[in-house]
Amino acid sequence: MELYEGACELKLLQTLEGHTDRVWSLVWNPATGTAETPLVFASCSGDKTVRIWEQNPSPSSSSSSHSSWNCKAVLEDTHTRTVRSCSWSPSGKLLAVASFDATTSIWENVGGDFECVSTLEGHENEVKSVSWNASGTLLATCGRDKSVWIWEAQPGNEFECVSVLQGHSQDVKMVLWHPTLDVLFSCSYDNTVKVWADDDDDWQCVQTLGEPNNGHSSTVWALSFNKTGDKMVTCSDDLTLKIWEMDSTSMQSADGYAPWRHLCTITGYHDRTIFSVHWSSEGIIASGAADDAIRFFVEDKDGLVDGPSYKLLLKEEKAHGMDINSVQWSPGEKRLLASASDDGTIKIWELASLCTGNGY
Amino acid sequence: MEETEDMFESSLNLEEIHFKEGYAEGYGHGLDQGKEEGQQVGLKVGFEAGEELGFYRGCIIVWNSVIQVDPTRFSDRVQKMIKQMDELVAKYPVMDPENESIQEVMDGLRLKFRAVCATLNVKLEYIGYPKTAQDSEF
Repeated sequence: MELYEGACELKLLQTLEGHTDRVWSLVWNPATGTAETPLVFASCSGDKTVRIWEQNPSPSSSSSSHSSWNCKAVLEDTHTRTVRSCSWSPSGKLLAVASFDATTSIWENVGGDFECVSTLEGHENEVKSVSWNASGTLLATCGRDKSVWIWEAQPGNEFECVSVLQGHSQDVKMVLWHPTLDVLFSCSYDNTVKVWADDDDDWQCVQTLGEPNNGHSSTVWALSFNKTGDKMVTCSDDLTLKIWEMDSTSMQSADGYAPWRHLCTITGYHDRTIFSVHWSSEGIIASGAADDAIRFFVEDKDGLVDGPSYKLLLKEEKAHGMDINSVQWSPGEKRLLASASDDGTIKIWELASLCTGNGY
Repeated sequence: MEETEDMFESSLNLEEIHFKEGYAEGYGHGLDQGKEEGQQVGLKVGFEAGEELGFYRGCIIVWNSVIQVDPTRFSDRVQKMIKQMDELVAKYPVMDPENESIQEVMDGLRLKFRAVCATLNVKLEYIGYPKTAQDSEF
């Protein structure tokens, strides 16, 4: 079902206001967006709060794309500085929140109310990103102290530090677990992406994707995996997106770690820093950048002569009034995208196919 | 003619003679001062390393006592990390300051210490721990 081979248009469904400072990131609750559960996402901001937004169940399914969004909860009075990032556990019950105040808080959804059930302390200063692994047993955090921390969830919302990893030479911008494997990825101001895997509770850097391996030449801001987890996209201050592939054919190491290799570079489309990138389950890559625009890329099936390549599907100029810090595809059937910006707003978009039969 | 040359020789070489004299004197001074300074730096750095190692050793001894009193008090993982810290302190080449593993061992100790503290939820800090600059950024 390659709808995106035809023309597409991006429709703005709603602009959400509420945060009183720049919105740094947002994340969809992965357990929502089904017939019984309306879509939910969390957003976090320089105003030190997290807001939980929920889609109103629409009266008729035909007009569901026009259903409105409400702020269901505000998580406040816990962090004393900017909240930079958050992550839902796979079950959608817990929300981990990373703040510049050097702590990470864990919130539990108790019948619609959110309670702070745990606080993780350990980073020396600003925590920049947090991520749950696929099974919800491990949590990773990273920050300005150049370290990456791995925590294990214990019964009773206790968290035990499994490992403190030092390897990056600068500020670590983002951590993200592989969608199926317990392999952790981190990207940094030192221009590299590092891959961490464990060998009997002993976590080690197993690969560094840097400039010598066709990597980025400036800060790597974010990364995202495709649905199956055999490809990864990274975005950078060097104005490019890079696609990487897991080389599962060369299972050379004994522990079965498959190294990643550079597949192609999407260059020439961005002229300002790319802060966010997200790969949809359908294979559409969305990027959010400092030029206030959102761009969509898909694999170019015609250009296989020189290896895989990606083409621009659509560009939305002036999607926001200021830098776009985060773009995230929703779970569920609808092709919804949420974007968060320095302008303090969140926008909900729908990428719709133009199936008007106008002979495109 | 030869006598005239000899007569002027000492004055012609005056500059070089003084230069050599001055150099020898300066070299001697430098040698003495350098040794003195080196000794001071050595004392300072050695003291700092000893202080930090001692701090960790103290923590390890207290934690190990806790484990002896109540073996279930700390999780297996924390106990393992304390044991690893113990090994690292023992491994630190105190008498061999030029050993290349010095930094690696100290870094390993610091990381394990932070991990143990985070899990035990205690705020212990070695006062001399090198802090990163506190300027703001995003």
